[in-house]
Amino acid sequence: MMKQLIAQMQEIARELLETGIVQTVIGWEKGSRWYLSPPVFVRKPEDAGRLWYDQFAVPNLSGYLLDYRNKNEKVAVFVKGCDSRSVVRLIQDNQVRKENIVAIGVPCAGMRDQSAVNDEKEPHELPLLSKCLQCRYPNPVYADRTVGEAVVDKSLNVPDDLDAGTGLMGGDLTGDGSYVSSGIVERLEGLSSDDRYDFWQKAFSKCLRCYACRNVCPACSCRECIMDSEHSLWVGKGSSPTENMFNALIRAYHVAGRCTTCGECERVCPVGIPLMALNQFLGQEVNKLLEAYDAGIDETLKPPLEMYGWPDFDGLFRCAKGVRA
Amino acid sequence: MMFLEKGDLHFVLDVLAGLGKLYVPAESNGITRFVPYGGEKTQVWLQTNTAISPKEILFPATETLYRYETGRGKETVKPVADHHAPLILFGIRSCDLQAITCLDDVFLDGEFVDELYRERRETATIIALSCAKAGPHCFCQSMGLDPLAHRQSDLQMYDYDQYYGLEANSDRGRLLLETLEKHDLLSVSGRENPVPALEFALEVETEGITEKLTGMFEHPLWEEVASKCLNCGICTYLCPACHCFDISEKLDNAHCGSKIRCWDSCMFSGYTRMAGGHNPRPGKRERVRERFMHKLCYFPQRYGKYLCTGCGRCLAKCPVGLEITKIMELVKEVENDA
Repeated sequence: MMKQLIAQMQEIARELLETGIVQTVIGWEKGSRWYLSPPVFVRKPEDAGRLWYDQFAVPNLSGYLLDYRNKNEKVAVFVKGCDSRSVVRLIQDNQVRKENIVAIGVPCAGMRDQSAVNDEKEPHELPLLSKCLQCRYPNPVYADRTVGEAVVDKSLNVPDDLDAGTGLMGGDLTGDGSYVSSGIVERLEGLSSDDRYDFWQKAFSKCLRCYACRNVCPACSCRECIMDSEHSLWVGKGSSPTENMFNALIRAYHVAGRCTTCGECERVCPVGIPLMALNQFLGQEVNKLLEAYDAGIDETLKPPLEMYGWPDFDGLFRCAKGVRA
Repeated sequence: MMFLEKGDLHFVLDVLAGLGKLYVPAESNGITRFVPYGGEKTQVWLQTNTAISPKEILFPATETLYRYETGRGKETVKPVADHHAPLILFGIRSCDLQAITCLDDVFLDGEFVDELYRERRETATIIALSCAKAGPHCFCQSMGLDPLAHRQSDLQMYDYDQYYGLEANSDRGRLLLETLEKHDLLSVSGRENPVPALEFALEVETEGITEKLTGMFEHPLWEEVASKCLNCGICTYLCPACHCFDISEKLDNAHCGSKIRCWDSCMFSGYTRMAGGHNPRPGKRERVRERFMHKLCYFPQRYGKYLCTGCGRCLAKCPVGLEITKIMELVKEVENDA
């Protein structure tokens, strides 16, 4: 089954490269260990055989499209259901031109959790990634082509055998800011504001300011990040809980209502800060205050925070009557 | 060799804590790193190496160089207070100790001595601990190290089943042994179990790599491997040997503040950005190349050792699986026309 699928992926890549429709295909390859399937860039038809797909193809490849926004190069990218939302996001933000992208949808039955590996050499069963336990779009919502049983499908679609649960992540609130959380947002909201502040202080005291969360994020598309701007007096280079938190909050606000909940920021964090709790919380706030919105599903639907329209939900335009978006 | 029963470790740590500022590998705030020993509440972590390397003790991620005040025609500069109780680093693995010797080369050798580093390093007593097994991402043996011992430790501890075997490599180490003996914590009657050779999941051939890289500055390989790099700082910040830093200000207000030094990373665009805005390393290709060239070519040429000690932290945490072991293999494989 998987073999057939991979052969199909390789075939499409070969064809796209041979015909010159694209110059690069971004996919996954077999990694150095059995539980690793890292990204690969294929540029020659004869290298298409490197492409690989299995339950460890965790990285969302669509963020790489940002590297091509200033290039006149056509790129194909393989997308799982959740990844495809990021492509829609990038198209909506005018970060990539639709005609320069060939999104190839792959079927996904959920990715497996590498952190549960206990034998480096012998493959063994692994649990689903906690984010996959909350999967809502197993099929690509956007794709130019598909392989296997993948179909383009924008409807909410909870896989039968999964428990949709409440939060994005599974696990437990440990109180020390470490990796957490079924319904983490609800549980954090249940804390007193002092305890909640304490939780985040602890979490951010271990931030290394490596910016992996930002660099992997398909919604983090500023040409120059304020954190990199040397003359910004907003945030210093030093690592301290306050500055680290500032960094994370700025990011969370910038992606509020635009975050497609791919969970990459939290996956890549080397110190296990539950960043998705922030994104999820802000997503919920946007839904509550403005309108129910799932980012990156329909490219024709603008994110609520990118529209200035009536009714004036929060009274922002009370003094500017007559101004209509 | 002297022996210590594993059950007595906490007593030993208590004694050591009385001799200086003791750092031990521990689980703290959901992550393993070296933390000041705080008695029994410290959850000492000896299974594998720590997620965050001990470099942050000798070379903190952020440190204040001095404080300043200006205004009314008067400028004052206040050095930070001397804060140096002798350091004792307990449970340092061979890879991390080798990395400390790399930091020593950079900060202590030659014309420029880094005073802040020197002050800490000179007071530090290093107690090394042999590895009982190789972690999933370890490859120190391939980098020419012995996971069981490092000669530049002051005191080497060997992990023998029920006991730790202790051997001093320096006067400081001998002094520590004497102190522990006085506390009746050591015996000569342990067993020196033969330790089976560690099994490494990862092996890599390093022979000739420095020479080959010398001619590969413009090689297309860099473009290829750089594509998938995110240019985040995980690899360099988790690396026990990476030592780049940046000096900047932390303003309290317009008139006073402090000069701080922070870790910096060759992966960041700002790292090489010059005052006029020009950046000699404008893209991923140049930055990724620099990281591997520095570790495997420039540093060995200058100091005679690799700036990679095989600790495996960058492999463990790289979000896109850009593995230095793989790079070394690729460098070996590719043709070099230059």
